[in-house]
Amino acid sequence: MLQCIFIISNSGEVILEKQLQGHRADRSICNWFWEYAMAQGGELSQLLPVIASPTHYLFQIFREGIIFLACTQVEMPPLMGTEFLCRVADIISDYLGGLNEDLIKDNFVIVYELLDEMVDNGYPLITEPNILREMISPPNIVSKMLSVVTGRSSNVSTTLPVATQSCAPWRKTDIKNSGNEVYVNLVEEIDAIVRSDGNLVKCEIYGEIQVDSNLSGYPDLTLSFANPTILNDVRFHPCIRFRPWELYQLLSFVPPNGQFKLMSYRVKKLKSIPIYVKPQLISSSGSCRMTVLVGTRNDPGKPIDSITIEFHLPSCVTSADFTSNHGTVNILADKRCSWSIGRIPKDKAPSLTGNLVLESGLSSLHVCPVLQAKFKIMGVALSGLQIDRLDVKNMPTQPYKGFRALTRAGEYEVRS
Amino acid sequence: MAPPPQFQRSSSPSQPSGKSEISDLKLQLRQLAGSRAPGADDAKRELFKKVISHMTVGVDVSSLFSEMVMCSATSDIVLKKMCYLYVGNYAKGNPDLALLTINFLQRDCRDEDPMIRGLALRSLCSLRVTNLVEYLVGPLGSGLKDPNAYVRTVAAMGVLKLYHISASACVDADFPSMLKRLMLNDPDSQVVANCLSSLQEIWSAEANTSEEAAREREALLSKPLVYHLLNRIKEFNEWAQCLILDLISNYIPSDNDEIFDIMNLLEDRLQHANGAVVLGTIKVFLHLTLSMADVHQQVYERIKAPLLTLMSSGSPEQSYAVLSHLHLLVMRAPVLFSSDYKHFYCQYSEPSYVKKLKLEMLTAIANESNTYEIVTELCEYAANVDVSIAREAIRAVGKIALQQYDVNAIVDRLLQFLEMEKDYVTAETLVLVKDLLRKYPQWSHDCIAVVGNISSKNVQEPKAKSALIWMLGEYSQDMPEAPYILENLIDNWDDEHSSEVRLHLLTAVMKCFFKRPPETQNALGAALAAGLADFRQDVHDRALFYYRLLQYDESTAERVVNPPKQAVSVFADTQSSELKDRIFDEFNSLSVIYQKPSYMFTGKEHRGLTDISEELGNLSVEAQPAAEALPAQIYEANDVDLLLSTSEKEEVRGPVNNSSAYRAPDYDSTTAALVSSQVPLEADLSIPGLPAYNPQVSSAIDDLLGLGLSVAPTPAPPPLALNPKAALDPGSFQRKWSQLAISSSQEFCIEPRAVVALATPQTLLRHMQGHHIQCIASGGQPPSFKFFFYAQRAGQPPSFFLVECLVNSSSARVQVKIKADDGAAAGDFSALFQAALSKFGE
Repeated sequence: MLQCIFIISNSGEVILEKQLQGHRADRSICNWFWEYAMAQGGELSQLLPVIASPTHYLFQIFREGIIFLACTQVEMPPLMGTEFLCRVADIISDYLGGLNEDLIKDNFVIVYELLDEMVDNGYPLITEPNILREMISPPNIVSKMLSVVTGRSSNVSTTLPVATQSCAPWRKTDIKNSGNEVYVNLVEEIDAIVRSDGNLVKCEIYGEIQVDSNLSGYPDLTLSFANPTILNDVRFHPCIRFRPWELYQLLSFVPPNGQFKLMSYRVKKLKSIPIYVKPQLISSSGSCRMTVLVGTRNDPGKPIDSITIEFHLPSCVTSADFTSNHGTVNILADKRCSWSIGRIPKDKAPSLTGNLVLESGLSSLHVCPVLQAKFKIMGVALSGLQIDRLDVKNMPTQPYKGFRALTRAGEYEVRS
Repeated sequence: MAPPPQFQRSSSPSQPSGKSEISDLKLQLRQLAGSRAPGADDAKRELFKKVISHMTVGVDVSSLFSEMVMCSATSDIVLKKMCYLYVGNYAKGNPDLALLTINFLQRDCRDEDPMIRGLALRSLCSLRVTNLVEYLVGPLGSGLKDPNAYVRTVAAMGVLKLYHISASACVDADFPSMLKRLMLNDPDSQVVANCLSSLQEIWSAEANTSEEAAREREALLSKPLVYHLLNRIKEFNEWAQCLILDLISNYIPSDNDEIFDIMNLLEDRLQHANGAVVLGTIKVFLHLTLSMADVHQQVYERIKAPLLTLMSSGSPEQSYAVLSHLHLLVMRAPVLFSSDYKHFYCQYSEPSYVKKLKLEMLTAIANESNTYEIVTELCEYAANVDVSIAREAIRAVGKIALQQYDVNAIVDRLLQFLEMEKDYVTAETLVLVKDLLRKYPQWSHDCIAVVGNISSKNVQEPKAKSALIWMLGEYSQDMPEAPYILENLIDNWDDEHSSEVRLHLLTAVMKCFFKRPPETQNALGAALAAGLADFRQDVHDRALFYYRLLQYDESTAERVVNPPKQAVSVFADTQSSELKDRIFDEFNSLSVIYQKPSYMFTGKEHRGLTDISEELGNLSVEAQPAAEALPAQIYEANDVDLLLSTSEKEEVRGPVNNSSAYRAPDYDSTTAALVSSQVPLEADLSIPGLPAYNPQVSSAIDDLLGLGLSVAPTPAPPPLALNPKAALDPGSFQRKWSQLAISSSQEFCIEPRAVVALATPQTLLRHMQGHHIQCIASGGQPPSFKFFFYAQRAGQPPSFFLVECLVNSSSARVQVKIKADDGAAAGDFSALFQAALSKFGE
């Protein structure tokens, strides 16, 4: 299993090292890794997630400028390594309120403590955020409060979670919450590829149901959908009972305490996309005229917010200038253009026009930029998935139930 | 404890700042050690933090060991944790000081707080100091019986740690059977899971020496235990589930009902949020149903959606791992994803490793129904900003074309690529068009018309240039400009640095010559002259070969150079189906990601090749008998980096190789080289109106060059007899190796068939043994192998020859260094060694 975990900054410095087994992995493996990364062009996000070094097999993931590197010398399920590192990154980021070198350095004791509980002897152990939170309090507010109130400063709770003994490992039995409420949040991301002629190549929605549960005791929840058949494939949090879903498409579960991802799903073959983006490129004798039009295509019924269009200028473009009739355009150093539109105004269709100057010797542009659109729509789940009702059992008083929905653009790209 | 000497000098300004800081810390820790004042814990914590941060950045703070231990008598759990961390890091280097910590750790193991008990026990087991083992057994024993599950969890894993420090202590204390009892009876799932993982490791390691352990290991796969775990699988956390699924994938059910029972129990695992669980379940399903073809097919259908979701919803790193598995599956069931091809369309922002795999998937699933859409999509990528992806996309289009679906449309698109006027697009396309023409000669007219328009100046990459030249030669009758383009290229011979291109140029101009003699004659003369003057051996040899061929008989030459060609029906696949099957057996393992079965990479790699000679002394000889050694010993040997320990496995596949071996052209390169040395290179080769179709002229040149038809025979092997029963132990080998100077060092090429045979290096050892040359050590993995041989001269005085032989199987080059007791005989031996090696693979 895993032999060692390193956390490395994006300048190659080892921020943290956690040996997991008796057979220690030497830190020189990080030097090897760094040389390898540099030899591959130094683009850290483009590195293979699984690398064979002369001495070890390395798993690595890159998150917000931080590399999480784990090494092993034995055969093991690859996703166990990769998935575990993803969890480590998520949980550390969750605990520290973000990920960067300074945050980790300031809180490395917490990180050590977390790793201590998350993995033992190379075998992943506890990665459920709720349980970890019961064992190790997140830094700042809670620990400060504790030290003031009790005079005893410690971010480790003295009681062990008994969850490991209950049959619902994600929840301890005697939770007491002051609030009595549960929020269900539908968050959808729309992935689409649109061809330059406006035809939809592919459109798919990836959705998550996020629940924030603040219920005391041992509540039993049932969530039903008005149209469960549109769901293409689902993945569940371990708390969901499988049979009711299989038989009646009901989500029946005892929730963990706090925020968690109840389920994720995919909806395939969507036909309608909310906005259109029409790029046009006309080359003539060493320069290229670019126009982009943006507008609403199928009105989702709620306003579309924070629309931005981004694209990379091809490397053969030496300079470019853009003007738009709405919003602002920025050209960044790495030839990235970003056009932030915000909301589409009622009276006009936003348009961007610009002139691209090509490299000398090139008469027309052969490499076409891909435009990526970002937007979000509050209050709508574009897949059309509707929650029918949420029943809460095992509770003395009915809690407050809140529902929200949000759709945003995931990989929404338009080819030109 | 004596005060450390540098204590007094702590404030000295001459000290480097790092060091003075450490002595500073030491002083402060000392002052705090006994303090019970309020706030002392906070101060300690700050200091501990500093110490740990030094440790983390790699500063050696081991000199603070005793102070740290003194300060650790505290009730503050964070302090304790930091102290445990510190102690765990430095105990191994300071076994004497580690003894200090034993006391407080043992006391903590009896603390009333289970969290502290657990943490202390974990740290105690992590000290890994052999002479402290005796202090471990007691706390571990009581930890296993602890009323709190957390402590038992830690203890179960602690047993494994103890086993790795001292196997005998662990077994003597009867821990394995305690673990077994816990595994069957403990109510806590994590305890059960940890017992399982510990027992798996312990019994697998013990199984080689003890039959009982082997039986126990078998028992882990017994029906009652498997069902005990299966029925409770939902109670386990996700990682433990992976472990159990892995165990079950090795279980052999007794009948079909049982198979369906297991699949029913596990079906909902396919919906689990953790990808590792999903993949583990899929492995179980695939393995269980291998023998039931129709159910196996249904399993493919069932796992399709979860796999696609995993691929498209996770992080790019997860997608990569899942895609590798999808790729494996699609090789076995190509139609499986043919209607889901859109999932493999590349998104702009994906990292290129994901895009590359997606392109491979698209290539693999293309069939009659979806080729049009897939090729259309791939063509979009050819204009991609990312050049490497654009190249891959074009290659993918070519591969699909070679699969024979809808070739017509694809050829048109490839030809459109040529009109894009991007040099890399042109380059890739040319290579593809060449392959296509070899398979579908009927397209030649369409292609040639377009290819003829390409200016060779725009093509720089050797591969593409070679392809263009090949086409010029092959279709010179259809391309009016061909001879002149070739001539132009030959005029710029010196600007062309790739020998591949030069070789192709020679061949192409020959072909052209037979089709359009008058126009090409000058060019041919110039090309042969330039080729003969070339310092690169292969180019020189080929030019000479053509030259002599023309001299001998031009119609023979034409038959050699321009034989009637048959369309290639299938291009050789790089990976055998046998390999793919093997990888499939290892589903859900790293093998899938490397696309190699694990025996090809695990085990051998622990240390670099270069260490072999240093290590030679302390290895057990791994000569022939060891091939039959137990797997455990083989594993041990791997650890010290010896030898072809996987020989057993590889042996099985050994004999297959020769049949498929590629045969090198049958003219003897040594002969050619010998002849070449007689050619007066300065002779003005370009003047004679070269071979032409005039036999008299060619014979005249014959005289001019003074090339006798007689060819010097290969020198016979020198008279050196070797002792067939030579013996040398590794120790003396190493001694000799370090004492003697290199008496002969050579580098040469081996035949392709030898490279093929080298797939099982064991065969080389046996082959050399047949020539009385013994192997003493070998290692490495493809493509580079290293061998140490020795041989002894027959007769008196007994003189040894030692050989270090580096083989690179990808470049087919061999480097040989020979050291000999009798330096004078080294030359003879070297020839003998080379002769023996050249026969390898026959």
